[in-house]
Amino acid sequence: MTRPGFVLEVDDRTPPIVVHEGEGFRLENFPLGTRVVYPPESLPSVPDVDGAIRDALLNPVDSDPLPERLFAGMRLTIAFDDLSLPLPPMRAPDIRQRIIEQVLTMAADAGVDDVHIVAANALHRRMTPAELKHIVGERVFRSFHPQGLLYNHDAEDRDNLLHIGLTDKGEDVEINRRAAESDLLVYVNVNLVAMDGGHKSVPIGLASYKSLKHHHNSQTMVRSHSFMDHTKSHLHHSAWRMGRLLKEHLNIFQIETTLDNNVFPAPYEFLMKREWEWSVKDQASMLAMRRGLAVAPKRMRHKMFHDLRAPYGLTGIHAGDTEAVHERTIAAVHRQQMVEVQGQSDVLVMGVPFLGPYNVNSTMNPILATCMGLGYYFNSYRNQPVVRRGGAVILYHPLEPDFSQLHHPSYVDFYEEILAESTDPAVIEEKYEQQFATDPWYIHLYRTSHAYHGVHPFYMWYWAAHAMDHVDDVIWVGGNRKVAQRLGFRAASTLADALEMASGTVGTSPSITYLHNPPHLIADVH
Amino acid sequence: MGSFLKDGVADVRTVAKGWRWGRRSMVPRSAEAFVPPARTTVFPTDWSRRRPARYAREVAQKGALEPLMRSQVRRRVEGLDVLARIDGPVIFAANHASHLDTPLILLSLPDEWRRRTAVAAAADYFFDTWWRAVGSAIVFNTFPIDRRGGSMATTPGEVLGEGWSLVIFPEGTRSKDGWVGRFQLGAAYLAVQHGVPVVPVAHRGTFAAMPRGQGWPSPGRRQLTVRFGEPLHPGEGEAARDFAPRIKDAVSALLDEDRSTWWEARRRAASGATPDPGGPAIAEWRRVWEQTEPVGVDPTAAPLRPWRR
Repeated sequence: MTRPGFVLEVDDRTPPIVVHEGEGFRLENFPLGTRVVYPPESLPSVPDVDGAIRDALLNPVDSDPLPERLFAGMRLTIAFDDLSLPLPPMRAPDIRQRIIEQVLTMAADAGVDDVHIVAANALHRRMTPAELKHIVGERVFRSFHPQGLLYNHDAEDRDNLLHIGLTDKGEDVEINRRAAESDLLVYVNVNLVAMDGGHKSVPIGLASYKSLKHHHNSQTMVRSHSFMDHTKSHLHHSAWRMGRLLKEHLNIFQIETTLDNNVFPAPYEFLMKREWEWSVKDQASMLAMRRGLAVAPKRMRHKMFHDLRAPYGLTGIHAGDTEAVHERTIAAVHRQQMVEVQGQSDVLVMGVPFLGPYNVNSTMNPILATCMGLGYYFNSYRNQPVVRRGGAVILYHPLEPDFSQLHHPSYVDFYEEILAESTDPAVIEEKYEQQFATDPWYIHLYRTSHAYHGVHPFYMWYWAAHAMDHVDDVIWVGGNRKVAQRLGFRAASTLADALEMASGTVGTSPSITYLHNPPHLIADVH
Repeated sequence: MGSFLKDGVADVRTVAKGWRWGRRSMVPRSAEAFVPPARTTVFPTDWSRRRPARYAREVAQKGALEPLMRSQVRRRVEGLDVLARIDGPVIFAANHASHLDTPLILLSLPDEWRRRTAVAAAADYFFDTWWRAVGSAIVFNTFPIDRRGGSMATTPGEVLGEGWSLVIFPEGTRSKDGWVGRFQLGAAYLAVQHGVPVVPVAHRGTFAAMPRGQGWPSPGRRQLTVRFGEPLHPGEGEAARDFAPRIKDAVSALLDEDRSTWWEARRRAASGATPDPGGPAIAEWRRVWEQTEPVGVDPTAAPLRPWRR
């Protein structure tokens, strides 16, 4: 039986609790009375995945069955979520592979010849052939990649973008031309968290900077409460307007999937267990891992974590009309991740793990760590933030100034030049975004190498804008002091020090809530 | 290297303390509602009543347990002569106040009885992990019984049928304050079903020496007393429901006898004035206070020895 998530109150019986910090974790003794939010255990996964996919394609929601929408001579484009989902990457076979294979089987049966498969990576980096192959599988890769029919979306290829029009709020809708001119666009999504999917798939995944800038900006993000709740997110409101406009111009068949909470494979399962239920084996694994991490060189530590492939199970698949499908998807995500929390607290504690959406097979630099902590984890709430306005956030991460020159070249300049000037999202947006977004060298690297777009670090900073606006103090436990200072935050070596430092903001006996994340959770704060 | 070892030791210490190594793990109070229902593990214990395990048990009990008990507590055993008058198997029904009860009763028995006596132990407590199950089965010859009434690999009836005597604590759990709780019907039911006599056993002092929550006897070699009573035979057609109170009365009378004398206890029993073993209805602390009082042993009642020590 799946146990629901719950809020633990730390008492004298509570063992130390795991807190992730980059490529490692620590055991933390939280003050008595600290609330610890545990996500629900994994829901039962679908036993017959291929049967469930077939069923979803043949019995879609508010749409004709997929085979009826396929015909000989048509232009079919299949778009799919890129490697930023799921986290960690899924153990092969990836769910997208299994779906795309069935869609292609139906297309072959219908005699469709003109098929393109496009990774909806927006301004994310181009995926390598190996990364594409991991997602779509060997069969699809071999059939399409050598012919140039399986490729990454290029948001800077002016010839292959189509301006569809303006929304009623004057927002440009510009997406991949091939997708826009297809008779049918099939979108294959992995809805890891509540933010994903719906109209965020096509209007954002296949868009250009011109279109993205309307919602990827500091004002929108500050007003999105939170971006994990599409009904209250200005980011999503904008995407929904764009999606509705797109729906008038092209046929979209949306396929959304939801996953369980099986994030860590053996022998790391103990990281998903409730600590007081750790067996002797779990305790031994933890001790061995801690010692291993202590002696392992940085490169080996990195490899150890980044080679993890999550044994995710499928909890649901829905296909058909985007909005109708997404409604069902969100319900499934909430079932898996929602935890009810009573009231806000003065201090919110979060451990930033080794992986976020933008450092798969790469390095989590300080800007990405900020985005992960103050962006994704902070926003993992419904109704109201877990921490009160004017409270403090304590994050765990080493904050080493390590950058991948290959994947994050613009981040280096953003960190060295822009953050040295200002850390205010609105100010840096106003003064510097255009310069980075249109820099020819960054565009060149984005298009030909494997670099994130020049504007991407700005988006990461905007992602954290709501948290920065909401809380008065951000302290990184175990963080590099110089780096924290550059980011506009402070660093402490222990939780006790961090609480001491935060006492100026929240007093000497604040209420504390720790989000035990990962696995993923959404705090429904009343 | 130095810091590696130092941090490793610190980690082990943290885990040993946090996860209560050597003690039973605990669930935070706010998480108790989310503890999954314990799975009924069917743990076979037939092997523990076969010859190799019996040899191992003899070594464990005589070579380790007996000296250990002797070093930690003082014991006085009375009433063993009743065993000379009956043949096994029997059911020893005793009050239950401490983990010391089982070794106390087993080690008080004459060797030929001890070697043929098994102990019914709560499956959810003693058989929750393999190492606890194996350990208790080897040392104490325990077999699991389900306190919630589920079925087990071995039933007490089968063990009785094989000619083993049983130690059963009819209260089903250790007393929280040292006084005797409600007797369940299990022992009476078994006796009626299999037509075996019940030997009432009463002991005092184990609660004072090692109450619930304590993992080792208190220092100072506390005095324990154990007293075996006249065997009770279920009457012809007597129901377990009627037999159970007789067992409890016998244990109560033995406790009374242990506090006073056989004659006084008999007279009180005859007039129905045996003190309630459940204790007086007074404040909790006073109940505990009374039970933690050291068991006084009348020096004149001490075993007579030919030589003064």
